[in-house]
Amino acid sequence: MKRIDAIRKIVKNVKDEIIISSTGMISRELYAVKDRPRNFYVQGSMGCTLGIGLGIAINSKHKVIVISGDAETLMSLGTLALHKKLNPKNLKHYILDNGCHSSTGAQPTCSDVINFAKIAPNTVVLKVSKEKGDAPRIPLSPKQIKRRFRNAICSDNS
Amino acid sequence: MKKYNFIVGVPGSRLKDFTDKIENYIPCTREDEAMALAVGAYLVGKKPLVFLQNSGLGNMVDIITSLLKPYDIKIDLLISVRNKPKHHAFMGKITKRLLKLLEYKNCKLLIQ
Repeated sequence: MKRIDAIRKIVKNVKDEIIISSTGMISRELYAVKDRPRNFYVQGSMGCTLGIGLGIAINSKHKVIVISGDAETLMSLGTLALHKKLNPKNLKHYILDNGCHSSTGAQPTCSDVINFAKIAPNTVVLKVSKEKGDAPRIPLSPKQIKRRFRNAICSDNS
Repeated sequence: MKKYNFIVGVPGSRLKDFTDKIENYIPCTREDEAMALAVGAYLVGKKPLVFLQNSGLGNMVDIITSLLKPYDIKIDLLISVRNKPKHHAFMGKITKRLLKLLEYKNCKLLIQ
C-alpha cells in the first residue's frame, strides 16, 4: 500500500476528530488528501508528534488521531511508554511504517526489530511502500496552520 | 503557580521542592517530549509550564527552533541551573547565553 493510500483510509470517515500529522511527506500527503482546520501539520520537531497529540488528548475531550512514521516514532520511543502510562482513551496513533527515511533517500530504520503496537495502546502500524511521494509543499505558513487550528478548536473547547 | 493549569517536565534534584509542592504534574522521559505535551495543551487553550534542569536544555533546542519559533508558540519554562559537579560546569556557564541565542525570553531561572 502506498503511504498516501494509507492516509486516505485513515481519514475516510473522519468527522470532528483532531488530526496531528508528523513532519515531512506525511503532513504534505494529508494536506493533499483532506485539508481541514482541525488538522495540525507538524513541520520540524521530528519525534514530537505523538507528544503533541498526548498533550491535546489529556487536556481536552476531543478525539485525537496522530499520524506519524516509523523513523519519527523511533526517535522518541520513550513517548510510547508515556502514552501507555497516561493511556488516554481519546487518542489513536497510526504509524505508517515504510522501514526507511524515504524523504532523504530511503536509508533504513530499525523498525523491523520492534513492535510499536506492543508498547503503546491504541496504536496501529500500517506497512507502506518506500516511495518518496510527490505531494507538494503545504501552502500555509506555520502561523496560519496554528491560527486556524486554534480558532476551530477553541471556539468549541470542551 | 496558579496561573498555570498544566505542568509538565523532567524532574531534577534542585526542582524537588517545586515538584513536591504542586499536586499534579506529568514527569516526562525527555525535555523535548515535555515541551511537545505543553504545545498540545497550549493548542487547546491551556496555560502550560515546562520545568527542567539546564542539562536538558540541549534536548529542547530542536523543538524550540523548528516548532515554537515558526509557529509563534510561547511556552513558559522553569529551569534549575546547575554548575557543579564538573559535568554540569559547561552547560552552567552557557545556559543564559544559550537562551539568549534562542531568543527565549519567557523563562525563569533558579540559579543554585
